[in-house]
Amino acid sequence: MEMAAWEALIRSTAFHAFIRANEPWLWPLCEILHYLGLSVLLGTVGLFDLRVLGMARAIPLRAIHRLVPWGIGGYLLNLMTGVVFFVGHPDQYFYNNAFRLKVLFMAVAGLNVVAFYGTSAFRELATLEPEAEAPVSAKIIAGTSLGMWVAVLICGRLLTFFRPPFFH
Amino acid sequence: MDRLLAFIEGSAPALWVRGESTEWTFVFPIVVTLHTIGMGFLAGGSAAIALRILGFAPHIPLRAMARFLPLLWLAFAVNAVSGILLLTAYPTKALTNPVFYLKVCLIAFAVWLVYRIGAAVLRAPDADKRPVTAKDKLLAVASLASWIALITAGRLLAYTHKWEMLGIPAII
Repeated sequence: MEMAAWEALIRSTAFHAFIRANEPWLWPLCEILHYLGLSVLLGTVGLFDLRVLGMARAIPLRAIHRLVPWGIGGYLLNLMTGVVFFVGHPDQYFYNNAFRLKVLFMAVAGLNVVAFYGTSAFRELATLEPEAEAPVSAKIIAGTSLGMWVAVLICGRLLTFFRPPFFH
Repeated sequence: MDRLLAFIEGSAPALWVRGESTEWTFVFPIVVTLHTIGMGFLAGGSAAIALRILGFAPHIPLRAMARFLPLLWLAFAVNAVSGILLLTAYPTKALTNPVFYLKVCLIAFAVWLVYRIGAAVLRAPDADKRPVTAKDKLLAVASLASWIALITAGRLLAYTHKWEMLGIPAII
């Protein structure tokens, strides 16, 4: 498989050279951070989603929403470490079906976030009393969020089993 | 020791996980994926509880937070089973590596903390009626630290095995 222009461009950057020169320690470090980030994301946004879906109803939604910024932090950590992985070995990700699915699920999760904060769904939730049941629209969004983040994790973990049969 | 490792490595469950006894070779990927999902909910859920105790999201009732504990125990069960399967499939990789024994100690400590925080903080008779004590916060910090150490050890298990085989990279 011939190298595409975009890949040659990435490989010509100093960032790519830095990652490859420091790969023996940088790669394990970024993987550790990536696993920590995904745990924080699932543990905060995941628990918020489960609350919206009806678990631990005694928790006011507004109160548990305070954990969401930590999830955003975990997401940003994973975005940054993910960029290191991609820039380091662009061919191993771009030509990998597990990676393509992962990006698709991330996009759905992103649109879902827009749907949550961009529509009345969030405002309705914020005014609910403790113990109150969330409206169906919010439950659909929370279920999508939980499903998509788990799907993103699954695709990420399976990346290594769907490597393209070549190295540039 | 070598004979024991060879016995485990050649056993039927080990062959099954490694995909050597069936046409279908996806057992190992499924097991490691379940192990990662379990890690996410167990470590992440514990971290959320610790953050609450430390004063972030202070309006979550502690007692209500305990409703998430069964989910954490389910995640722990998934990881115990998947972990034992991974150990059965590749016993030499784990049992000859000091990092593995460190990881086992960290699991014992972190899981004991989940139990302890549940019993002494979230489900304490006077939970939500008394202020969070310094001792509660110490448990929360220990929990966060043990999950960070545990995930680091888990990830390094794969790398230290490679370094054992190929030598530690000169760059470190």
